[in-house]
Amino acid sequence: MAGAAPRIELRDLRKRFGDNQVLAGVSLKVMPGESLVIIGGSGTGKSVTLKCILGILTADAGEILIDGQPLARVDRRAFLRHFGMLFQGAALFDSLTVWQNVAFRLIHARHAPLGRRAARDLAIAKLARVGLGPETADLYPAELSGGMQKRVGLARAIATDPEVIFFDEPTAGLDPIMAGVINDLIRELVEEMGATAVTITHDMTTVRTVADHVAMLHGGIARWSGHIDEMEASPDPYLQQFIHGRAEGPIETVR
Amino acid sequence: MILLRLVQAFLASIGRSVLELLAATGRLTLFAADALSHLVRPPFYPGEFGRQMLRIGYFSLPVVGLTALFTGAALALQIWSGGDRFNAGTVVPSIVAIGIVRELGPVLGGLMVAGRVSSSIAAELGTMRVTEQIDALTTLSTDPMKYLVLPRVLAGLIAMPMLVAVANVIGIFGGYLVGTTRLGFNPAAYIKNTLDFLEPADVATSLTKAAVFGLLLALMGCYNGYHSGRGAQGVGEATTNAVVSASILILAANYLLTEAFF
Repeated sequence: MAGAAPRIELRDLRKRFGDNQVLAGVSLKVMPGESLVIIGGSGTGKSVTLKCILGILTADAGEILIDGQPLARVDRRAFLRHFGMLFQGAALFDSLTVWQNVAFRLIHARHAPLGRRAARDLAIAKLARVGLGPETADLYPAELSGGMQKRVGLARAIATDPEVIFFDEPTAGLDPIMAGVINDLIRELVEEMGATAVTITHDMTTVRTVADHVAMLHGGIARWSGHIDEMEASPDPYLQQFIHGRAEGPIETVR
Repeated sequence: MILLRLVQAFLASIGRSVLELLAATGRLTLFAADALSHLVRPPFYPGEFGRQMLRIGYFSLPVVGLTALFTGAALALQIWSGGDRFNAGTVVPSIVAIGIVRELGPVLGGLMVAGRVSSSIAAELGTMRVTEQIDALTTLSTDPMKYLVLPRVLAGLIAMPMLVAVANVIGIFGGYLVGTTRLGFNPAAYIKNTLDFLEPADVATSLTKAAVFGLLLALMGCYNGYHSGRGAQGVGEATTNAVVSASILILAANYLLTEAFF
């Protein structure tokens, strides 16, 4: 890996909403094939960071480099073609069936879109990979449980075998058993596909299952970052308070 | 001194409102231009456009048709009783036809469709915004303006003239029903009278108005839904704003178009 350009690099990223400086200079690197988990309390800018990388939000200042190229110079459509994303609430399209959701990008590809039959077959194969049977293919998202919706979202994220996958709070709103299943699935899929993964979460089980590297956002910056094995032993009081869920410590809590 | 400050505060509040109005007009214009620019930039989504044509055009037929039918019927009675005061009751067929085609068909049709369609578009897109479905579209390499907004706006523009054409016929038929059954008109004479008085320019005015109203009501639904605030309250506000702004714009555009065609 030595000498390889980071797959994604953030340099001094800044973003403000009104008076609220959410990102005050975030710098991070994600190497190819690595699974980075970004942790931090609510409102620390985890989702904003992710949306800036995806181009859904525009940063006020700083640089985002993809394979060493500034994001502004990267062909956005080509860039997104290699990305998959699992949203916090799955973000499935209500008006489409499960298989149409999974195969959305394949059906609507600008170049060589798949026919409906081939797209449906591929969607069913991806659904099987996340543990859902073909009987779910023709259901609508509203007919699925929260855990099943997450699995469908996961199937959609991996439908085109992307090189980079983002996971936004993948276990939010799930019971511990289903959360464990989703965490294991993410780890398996990322290893199987050799994909680069960026996960944002405040669930420490996810961190311990999914992460190669961890970065903690606090106060608008990456307060700590390092290998997962270094996390427990780190002397950083902010990190220690967060990973052990202590009410006492430098991070202010509201009771 | 206090009076001066009060006057200043009053003028400042007017200035703020004017600036906000201009900014909102600018944002809406840019939004519309962005949406319509996708007309000439592939990829296109004909399936999505077809679905919206069905939703805006076909499924609005009952409400628009009933509105036109009852309006035509009531108009015939009103003109009969009003015209009778100066022995002009016989003008019922021509006034019903001109009134429905030039004014009431497009305006009432536009307002009814604004209530039905602008609100549902705003609620749908607002919910998609809140549940991150619009962000998901972006990450799936699909431009939401192209996939969500353009098909709805285009369907509004094309479906409304069709709807209003049907509404005009139904409205005139409402007048015909009342004229022939209640007011003693000869059916053949009623139809002849109607056709003699209607001119192609009346129909052109009606359909042009309908196209503009269709564009406005779909645009306001999309704009408000697309920029919906967070949560259920945000979606609720977007829905209300869509219907109110679409209705006001339809009435204002109706006056301007009537002046233009006068």
